[in-house]
Amino acid sequence: MAEQRDDFIIALRYALLKKGTQQKFSLFFLIIFSIIIFTLDKLSLSYVQKTRAVLNDLIYQVAIVTSTPEKFTKYVIKLTSDHYSVYRENEKLKEEVEVLRNEKIQNEYLLTENTILKEALQLTGTKVLEQDISIIAKVIIDQESPYLKSFLLNKGTRDGVLKGMTVFSKKYLIGTIIESNYLTSRVLLINDLNSRIPVIIENTSVNAILTGLGKDNNLELQYLPEQFQLSAGKNIYTSGKDGILAAGIPVGVTYVDKKEQVKVRTLADLNQALFVNVTNGQFRN
Amino acid sequence: MITFRTFREGFIKVLPLVFLYFLSLNSFSSITQLIPHFDVFSFNIQIIIIYFYALKFPEYLGFGHVFLIGLLKDVLIGTPLGATAINYLVICLVATYIRNVTLRPKLTSEWFMFIPALFFSNLVYFIIINNFSNLAFYYEELLRITFFTFLFFPIFYPILNSHKKLYKLEE
Repeated sequence: MAEQRDDFIIALRYALLKKGTQQKFSLFFLIIFSIIIFTLDKLSLSYVQKTRAVLNDLIYQVAIVTSTPEKFTKYVIKLTSDHYSVYRENEKLKEEVEVLRNEKIQNEYLLTENTILKEALQLTGTKVLEQDISIIAKVIIDQESPYLKSFLLNKGTRDGVLKGMTVFSKKYLIGTIIESNYLTSRVLLINDLNSRIPVIIENTSVNAILTGLGKDNNLELQYLPEQFQLSAGKNIYTSGKDGILAAGIPVGVTYVDKKEQVKVRTLADLNQALFVNVTNGQFRN
Repeated sequence: MITFRTFREGFIKVLPLVFLYFLSLNSFSSITQLIPHFDVFSFNIQIIIIYFYALKFPEYLGFGHVFLIGLLKDVLIGTPLGATAINYLVICLVATYIRNVTLRPKLTSEWFMFIPALFFSNLVYFIIINNFSNLAFYYEELLRITFFTFLFFPIFYPILNSHKKLYKLEE
């Protein structure tokens, strides 16, 4: 028994400390070095953060070049699948146009009514904050990872993109900036597990927290009131209760899945976002 | 003097390293993610390559490079700096240990010893991410990736072995 233990310790010590042929570093040294780097990164010292920001920028720029074959492959696959689904999509779009036409008429009526009511309550002329800025950025890398669903953008602190800003695709919320370097920045997408957004459901006064599931564009509503039955076709807007996001930003919509269950998905197609708007306030067209 | 022959020999030798660097600088974690409806078979080819070379031909894959590849991956996927590097180094450690204690290497024994390698690397990674970062895990996805990484090892074994044969031919 003691001999077996000794053999194990000798073999492990050999694996850790022995530098093999053409190995410049021992595994022990590299593991300790990794722990030191990890600790320094965790301590968030200002000079470490600056170094990491420079390192991030450099690596992201190289990654843009190396991911070109991948982008091309994705483009070809998408092009092929789009080609075969044109007819089906056309039929679907025709139906959607009909529904939207009806909704537009209804919306125009509601808009008029809303204006009249606002005038009556003297709520007209809501000021747009002067400090609200909107920056158009391009998605350079769409990172697939089991830990973080995120995008890399080609704009950083140089262009005014700061940590905490909100990101929109078309006019739908898709995420927030969690890391800002000089030339690039990282967006935490709303379908990430770490994403938490206080929301309100259309035509109700029900508040909930919208979290990501990490699967495609699917989301989940948490902390819904008991006995509340979610119905399909309801838009979900930010409630603004966090004090960070403005109220009324469209985020998701409810739908019925194949198992006849009501689910939530993002309004924006996160896989197709190419150009996005980064803003510190409510996005306006 | 660099001749075409020496250049070709050098290139063949660094091929796995080049491939690993290329993979670490790409946004996908598995090739199957590029093919629609096949992302369910996602696996981590980097771990397969690192384990294979650390186990069979460590002279082709410097641990310093493995460390750098891990750091690059950390920067790109947004995990704490050094976490993936430790993950890959643990794979190397287990592989080196197995190499030291194995007398007659066989595909089956190497394949099954891949389980403790994956287990310890994932364990270290879980501990780091859970205790030292705010990131949440997609446990289902991680389990799936780990399972297919283990399952596909024998498929890549002859492919990676053929690289060694190619190099031996050059020698």
